[in-house]
Amino acid sequence: MIIVAKCALALASTIVVAGVYTFREGVIKVDVDEHRDGGSHVHFWVPAAAVPMAMHFVPKRHFREMPGEASECLPLLKIVTSELRRYPNTTFVDVQDGNDHVRVATVGSKIQIDVVNSEENVHIAVPLSTVNDVANQLAADAPGV
Amino acid sequence: MSLLSQRISRRASVALAAAVLLAPVALYSQSVTVTSDSSGTSDRWLHVRVVSTESKNETVRVNVPLDMAEKVLPAINKDRLHNGKVRFNDSDMNGVDLKAILDAVRTAKDGEFVTVQSNDSDVRVAKQGGYLFVHVTEKTANSTKNGKPSEKSRVEVKIPMKVVDALFSAGKDELDLVAALRALSAHGDTELVSVKSDDNTVRIWLDSKNISD
Repeated sequence: MIIVAKCALALASTIVVAGVYTFREGVIKVDVDEHRDGGSHVHFWVPAAAVPMAMHFVPKRHFREMPGEASECLPLLKIVTSELRRYPNTTFVDVQDGNDHVRVATVGSKIQIDVVNSEENVHIAVPLSTVNDVANQLAADAPGV
Repeated sequence: MSLLSQRISRRASVALAAAVLLAPVALYSQSVTVTSDSSGTSDRWLHVRVVSTESKNETVRVNVPLDMAEKVLPAINKDRLHNGKVRFNDSDMNGVDLKAILDAVRTAKDGEFVTVQSNDSDVRVAKQGGYLFVHVTEKTANSTKNGKPSEKSRVEVKIPMKVVDALFSAGKDELDLVAALRALSAHGDTELVSVKSDDNTVRIWLDSKNISD
């Protein structure tokens, strides 16, 4: 009986530790709602730590095929994401045009982009550390960076 | 296994389980502490607000920490912008030696340098109290207010001279944006640009708040 309890405890501990490790960087949230008939409704969240991990399995040649304009932006992206972490809960851009509303802000340690208009609602929240990690990994393999 | 060792083992297991289960809470609270610590800064913020009453009441608000802009600008190398400096050539200035003009303005005493008053517009360029002022008022030709031509638009620019100095501190044909931002961040709360017209209102100002009013 004790052995079973110990095994259960070990399993529970492993699950908790794995959970903590997986969610240590937070969650990427994407919500897309199209208001038209038959419009798509996409709602998903992904543990942010999974993205840099998954990128290790992407063949490096795909990173090397990155357009020059994109690879030029990687150093900038790295700096911006590391700087943005210093400004939690701040709205950087807010555009209101009639029914259209676009907002780029930091919410805690995440960058959040909200686009709300009469056709669709899009909400994306990505931990800044994840964007930084991805930019670092891309920059490591991108040509000319 | 003796009863005592079984008890110790059980208690140790419970303690371990509790520690593991509480770890996420501890980690979360730690991250919240870090977040709240970093929010209490004395950063200088550049705010841009554009309100257009033209069609759908468009409002644009941009808030940029100067500290961040100082670090991000040198990383942008595109066209004429390199290492936080913008290169321009003589043809852009139509042969006007901007640096010479600036030197003349810098060394001059406070006063009005340009005053133009016409039926269409009024222009005033002045230096006063360490600031360079540029005021342009465009008038509506066929409309009057209290006997005077009514204003179509009003542009007011107020730039600290130190910022102007910093802007031209690079080479002959360059504007040093990073140096200008650094000089700007050393300044107090300032309204830099104000544009008012029938359709649009533009404000660019500097303060210590991370939100625009």
